[in-house]
Amino acid sequence: MRAVAIGLKIPDNTAFTAAVALRRLGIAVERVERSEIWFFEGEGNALIERVKADETIFNPNKHYVTVLDETFPRSGEVWIEPLEPRHPDPSTGSLEGRRATAWRLFGPNEATLARESLAAAVERLLCNPAVERAVYNKHGKLERDIPRASE
Amino acid sequence: MSARIAVPVFPGTNSEDETLRLLRDCGGNAELVHWSQASSLARYDAYVLPGGFAYEDRIRAGAIAAHDRMMDSVIEAAGNGKLVFGVCNGAQILLEAGLVPGTGSIRRPTAAFSRNAPAPHFVCRHVCLKLAIEPARCAITASLPRDAIVPAWAAHAEGRLAATPEHLREIVAGGHLAFVYADSSGAVDEAAIPNGSALGCAGLVNREGNVLAIMPHPERDAWNFNHLDRREGDDVLATSGGAALFRSFVQALMS
Repeated sequence: MRAVAIGLKIPDNTAFTAAVALRRLGIAVERVERSEIWFFEGEGNALIERVKADETIFNPNKHYVTVLDETFPRSGEVWIEPLEPRHPDPSTGSLEGRRATAWRLFGPNEATLARESLAAAVERLLCNPAVERAVYNKHGKLERDIPRASE
Repeated sequence: MSARIAVPVFPGTNSEDETLRLLRDCGGNAELVHWSQASSLARYDAYVLPGGFAYEDRIRAGAIAAHDRMMDSVIEAAGNGKLVFGVCNGAQILLEAGLVPGTGSIRRPTAAFSRNAPAPHFVCRHVCLKLAIEPARCAITASLPRDAIVPAWAAHAEGRLAATPEHLREIVAGGHLAFVYADSSGAVDEAAIPNGSALGCAGLVNREGNVLAIMPHPERDAWNFNHLDRREGDDVLATSGGAALFRSFVQALMS
């Protein structure tokens, strides 16, 4: 199983809106990066070609695709994944399966936000714990948030 | 002077015209309030959040709008007991704002109107909502008869109530399940649910009974000209069908 990141090579309005909303919430964000993470069996160029052939998730005019080294977030990154995997959609034949949204939040000097600030952004905006959970990188390993009961 | 109803318009809202028109046809004193006029919202007596795609559903449906300045006023008004009614995207915003079911904290949602299932597609389908609470449990439904059936159009890709089992139990135990999907005779079964919604939920009410969120659009089946059961000779411009719920909302402001 490999993780593939599909990001926008055009301006990402969602990331921009998230940055504005997070600043309004008092979180010191200068810039936000976002990509969609998909998990597939396969390796190397064959995997990339397979992803590029699925026009429901990849548009060459808008997207770039990267095969990731790990199946969990990089340091300073959080993945928001649905609690329930999406149902495969036989009507489109798309590759829908396990997926997540990756967020990287940058503060001053292009440094990624500290874990506490990232967790605050997750809790206050990026994740609805009723249907999603956050996945972090903790000392080079995967760490999942357990959805919380109401506070 | 009659109570003033605000219809807040976020960037991306698209159902404000029919919402405004129906409120007025039901006798309400309603006005559109655009996002650039957020500071004026506090002056209103009640709020109806219309459908659409506020902020293009960025991050999640309703997530950005729930943190908009306009929602500061709506949240404060709801806390003061004013009536707040959300339809479709308006309902999604109310969930993201934590106003319904209201079992958590403000802006800490405990449920979501999430991606439809099993097929994760946009659904456009005529549905019926059955009142699942005593009418007086919610001020907005108080003028409806018990077990009222309200016709409407479901038009959404994210309308499936989803929550943890614990929170679903709270929704049932707390009497938050305001409307369920049913057929036109009132029978509640799987076939009537267009989106896989947990509990067959079509609408939620808060504990105090002054905030109601429903996913389908009664305002799109609200005049004879767009009512499925229209008969020959009916006045095409007369309100009918889904207008009953909006009439009950206006009635609550007059009582």
